[in-house]
Amino acid sequence: MNTNQNRIVAISGNKSAAMGAALSRPDLIAAYPITPQSSVVESLAQMIAQGDLNSTMIQVESEHSAMSVVQGAAVAGGRTFTATSAQGLALMYEPYFRMSTLRLPMVMAIATREMTSPETVWSGQQDAVSVRDAGWIQVYVENNQEILDMIIQGYKIAEHPDVLLPVNVCYDGFYLSHLTERVEIPHQPAVDDFLGVYHADHVSLDPDTPMAVDPLTSGEILWRYRKGHLDAMQKALQVIEQTDDAFEQVFGRRYGGVIDTYKMDDADFVIVTMGATTGTAREAVDVARSLGMKIGLLKVRFLRPFPDKKIREILSGKQGFVVIDKNVCFGWNTGVLYMEIKAAISELGHPISSMPAIGGLGGADISVDQLVTCIQVLVKQGSQQPGQLDTYWFQ
Amino acid sequence: MNLIDKLATWEDQISPGISACVGCNVELTLRTCMKVMGPNTIFAIPPGCMGGVGVVGWDKKSGAKTPVFFPLLDNVASMLAGIKLHYEHIGRDVNVVAFAGDGATVDAGMQCLSGAAERGDKIIYICYDNEGYMNTGYQRSGSTTKGAWTSTTPVNHSGQGGKRQNKKDFPLIMAMHDIPYMATMNPAYIPDMVRKLEKAKEIKTGLVYLHVYNPCVTGWGFQSDFSIEVSRLAVESNFAPLYEVENGKFKMSVEIRNPKPVKEFLSRFKKFSHLTDEDIQELQEWTDFKINRLKHLCTL
Repeated sequence: MNTNQNRIVAISGNKSAAMGAALSRPDLIAAYPITPQSSVVESLAQMIAQGDLNSTMIQVESEHSAMSVVQGAAVAGGRTFTATSAQGLALMYEPYFRMSTLRLPMVMAIATREMTSPETVWSGQQDAVSVRDAGWIQVYVENNQEILDMIIQGYKIAEHPDVLLPVNVCYDGFYLSHLTERVEIPHQPAVDDFLGVYHADHVSLDPDTPMAVDPLTSGEILWRYRKGHLDAMQKALQVIEQTDDAFEQVFGRRYGGVIDTYKMDDADFVIVTMGATTGTAREAVDVARSLGMKIGLLKVRFLRPFPDKKIREILSGKQGFVVIDKNVCFGWNTGVLYMEIKAAISELGHPISSMPAIGGLGGADISVDQLVTCIQVLVKQGSQQPGQLDTYWFQ
Repeated sequence: MNLIDKLATWEDQISPGISACVGCNVELTLRTCMKVMGPNTIFAIPPGCMGGVGVVGWDKKSGAKTPVFFPLLDNVASMLAGIKLHYEHIGRDVNVVAFAGDGATVDAGMQCLSGAAERGDKIIYICYDNEGYMNTGYQRSGSTTKGAWTSTTPVNHSGQGGKRQNKKDFPLIMAMHDIPYMATMNPAYIPDMVRKLEKAKEIKTGLVYLHVYNPCVTGWGFQSDFSIEVSRLAVESNFAPLYEVENGKFKMSVEIRNPKPVKEFLSRFKKFSHLTDEDIQELQEWTDFKINRLKHLCTL
């Protein structure tokens, strides 16, 4: 990879993730294959073999070990990267939770995928949303450029002294991981300058400065760790916005921080999306508007920390909204993002109609036409009654 | 320098005040291992007896002088592999050492240890084998001897019960990974232990596995005064032989010319007190089979 000049290439989402990781120059990369992520670590292995990337790569025997080796390197002071999907994420849950609660920054790409059972290898967001309460920052992206940019931004956010938390860059398996798109590859020196050198001084395993890391901790002080973690999540909301601004100044692209909107100003109704469905939803909004519906789009970029205030501001004064979830929230008869937004608008103080919508499970497609139909249902029912409408299933 | 001088000169790397059971021979093992490994070492002590007694300094009075970490029960080797790789990446030579019980090693952490051994991650992995999950109340592990009482393989009023399966031969399993160095150790043989630890420190070509057989005062049921004596009996009866495997070559470290009956070893512990003569005979035959196999391996 020649990173001495700005280049425009046509690459898959996985290749874009690999190039974003390579530009961030991690010390250690853990590689373990799983569909649909595998070509991320294959690409990185290739870059190292060609001498284009000076990272150490370890080919582990499971995702549990993938997260464990990067945790070891991180606690020794290194910048690390790995990627996973679905069952791999589930297997690494034990060290995954510990990565965030040890306050170790890193970036891990998740090519999101449906969870088994029924047995499946295709797209969905059930894997990543299921670990939303494991203390990581999670960003869900719309296209391949955003994958690369958010991996670079991810390190900047993760390593910020007010944050010190690991970041997941989540992108739809197959729909992005295996889709070829135009991607602009930034200058390596510009990325080096943007990220700087990571230096961990809050935790380290170094014989020159002996430290006992993570002894048994009683409840009388454990709450302080949790409070500090929650505070860092709230501070991250600001850091995310600052990082987006700083990124735009250097690289000329911005994403709107924690959320993005499209044709929102005069909208009465809102379609809410997270991930690659956003691109389809932009088209659907245009079509629905041509049919006379005043609809806008809210793209939720960060599920953790959850941008509740921003979302409340956007939805305040609207007549109704639909949330497109490519996942389910067991026990609530809705998707996960719907429940999060429901919680965020609970303090609005005026009635608003809302419709949970579930689709795209196990790789099923959600088309523009389907979204337009869904918007029509929202506008019709939402004009008649406030409150929660029946869950809409894309079939 | 002779052994006594070495042990007298080298600095203790662990606080004198840790809360191991009275007479615990794992504490002696840990102290010896840490002393030989020295200050330029990062230790991982996972959940288990030694994690629980305060090596990681939980009560603010005990703890290690070297950096020490409390890894997960099942990621000791992979976590350490990451630490070691980072130090290799930045060009610093640091000993990276695990001190883990048999539960963390032969059961829960076996996959990642096997992976690290196969990859040749340059860590030193020491397993203290007290034949079960002693810190959580003496539950059975894959390393528990057949017939033994444990809290999850209880013995009823008629004397029926105990573990039904053979002990997993973990030292041999690790040797068969073709790692550069594998050795068994015993707290009754400190000179042998120190020699093996010193050799382990010199190995730069891959993973070193050291397996210590540590009879447990509290879980096995014997008087603490006999902690060293019963440990020695394990070797003298060939029940837990001392040997090493260097680059595939097997070698006995201590030859027992006239082995004592296994019964002499087993009869010292409450956990075997319900065994019948037939049970003991079976363990004797099992021991004979294994020592013969081991001696045959030493001829190859």
